Amino acid sequence: MRSLVQECARAALLLWLASLAAFAVIHGMPADPAEIFLVQMNRPVTPEAVARLHAEWGLDAPLFVQYVDWAGRFVIGDWGLSFRTAQPVLDEFLRRLPVSFLIGTGGLALAALLAIPLGHHAALRPHGIADRASRALAILAQAVPAFWSGLILLWILAVELRWLRPFTGGSAHQLILPTLLIALYSVGTLARVYRTELQLYQAQPYYRTALATGLTPREALHRHGRRHALFGLVAALTPEFGWVVGGTAVTEVVFGIPGVSQFLVDSIAVRDYWVLQGYIMAMAAWMILVHGASVGLRRALDPRICPEA
Amino acid sequence: MAWRSALAARRRWPAGPLVPGLLGIAVLLAAGALWQPYDPAAIDLGARHLGTSLAHPFGTDQLGRDMLSRTMVGGGYTLAVVATVALVSVALGTAVGLGAAVCDGLARAALLRAADFAIVMPSLVVALAITGLFGLTPLTAGLALGLGGWGPYALLTHALARRAMAQPYVRAAQALGVGSPGILLRHVVPAATPAVLTYLAADAGRTVVAYAALAFIGLGADTSRPDWGAMLYEYRAFIFDAPMLMIWPGLAVTLTALALHLLIEPDADRLAGLRRMATDTALAQATGPGGSPPPRAADKPLTGARPWR
Repeated sequence: MRSLVQECARAALLLWLASLAAFAVIHGMPADPAEIFLVQMNRPVTPEAVARLHAEWGLDAPLFVQYVDWAGRFVIGDWGLSFRTAQPVLDEFLRRLPVSFLIGTGGLALAALLAIPLGHHAALRPHGIADRASRALAILAQAVPAFWSGLILLWILAVELRWLRPFTGGSAHQLILPTLLIALYSVGTLARVYRTELQLYQAQPYYRTALATGLTPREALHRHGRRHALFGLVAALTPEFGWVVGGTAVTEVVFGIPGVSQFLVDSIAVRDYWVLQGYIMAMAAWMILVHGASVGLRRALDPRICPEA
Repeated sequence: MAWRSALAARRRWPAGPLVPGLLGIAVLLAAGALWQPYDPAAIDLGARHLGTSLAHPFGTDQLGRDMLSRTMVGGGYTLAVVATVALVSVALGTAVGLGAAVCDGLARAALLRAADFAIVMPSLVVALAITGLFGLTPLTAGLALGLGGWGPYALLTHALARRAMAQPYVRAAQALGVGSPGILLRHVVPAATPAVLTYLAADAGRTVVAYAALAFIGLGADTSRPDWGAMLYEYRAFIFDAPMLMIWPGLAVTLTALALHLLIEPDADRLAGLRRMATDTALAQATGPGGSPPPRAADKPLTGARPWR
């Protein structure tokens, strides 16, 4: 119970820090948002118009008042209007979130499911096929740019073989390739993590005890090492899950998916600060959520410890 | 003879023979900063979409520009970015790391927290925001990526410095009255340099891909400037008619990044060990001595290794 209160307090603190960062966006930027707004709207940039916008948005009030006012409106769901689309920022996000969520979490879940058997076999047989394959996948994920491999996949599957119609087909046609791409870029690293965790287990005395009781290495890894390795996998997946929703700009641009990341990219291009603010807050809230879920899951896997941060 | 054994390890490694060839490619591309066979911006509408020939080994694009020349210029830009990132992140990271090693109490905690924060911060968003605001040039991209990437260097330097400062001969020097600057320069920096350089090589490979991704997403990117990423963005429209156009720049990114990764691959396990040590030392600072949990490779990974997807 006490730990729950602590977690909540920590989450509140983090959210507050994120709100300070988001608030600083408006005031730390080199250009005046009112001028950018006027230029975007094709209206003349006169000192009077700028002053009127400042008054309308409350930008001439003291900083503290502005912050309290902004944070208050943020909490009740008034995130401001996007310059570019003239729609409420919150609505824009909510409309784009499902697609980003689907390809991100779907891709990662697929990667984790593939990483477990791959890491298991890699630990069973060092320098075997699974070990080499996971190692190669991890290196390639670092070296081959995702937008290029995405284009190559597109070329082979959609242009040469015509198996998929990623731009004109239904949602399945649209979502298969991005989900696969995200999975492909995570599976190697996750398999390496799983393998390393299993190897750490193999170095423990109780692994030898397990072997002495007559278990084969495979059985020992499966029965006793799995929990240990899953713990590590969950720990490694935590930042990945925190990232994958809203952090897949490359994939979304390549496949033309109308997701959160692409929206952010387009908004930054025209300096739509309100969208950037909303994005920072939404990401912070999502990461705190993921972190909380991860702490809970890790406690369930290993009740002995309460993981630090 | 540490370098001799390192060399032998490289020769034993199965892909070792590839490394000189890959490095040769990288050097050739970097040389593109100084010289190209043709003017990379010269438009020749009479020579559009030429295939591979002796005159144009990579062919020409939709405006008749020589692809080899464009790719070589892109290599020069990439080299500039890699150099800037290396300079910024190493300078900032080692300064913070050494500072944390020398300081005590609150100052150390604050510096390590700052490094943690820099690691957790979404580098893609930071880089997008900075390059979106100030335009995408090799210099701004280098600064943006360097500012997003100094965290691991700080943790690494801190851990190595702490270890070096615990050595008896360093203690002896301290007892003899050598001050902090002397200790750092004479004993700590030489002890930390090899590890930092190894990490730098891994980082350089990631930087090549990250810069290409930034140029591909193309905020404020100048498509007339032949960055590899910008070229891919431009040529992706010809995926149906001239897929070779997107092969060359993508191959350039991949081979360069791969060369850098394969160069340090024999040290991969050592690198993983360094990472673990760096995070463990930082964690020990946060939790205090005693009650250490069982070893977890992935508890707090140095997440600079995440690919952009």
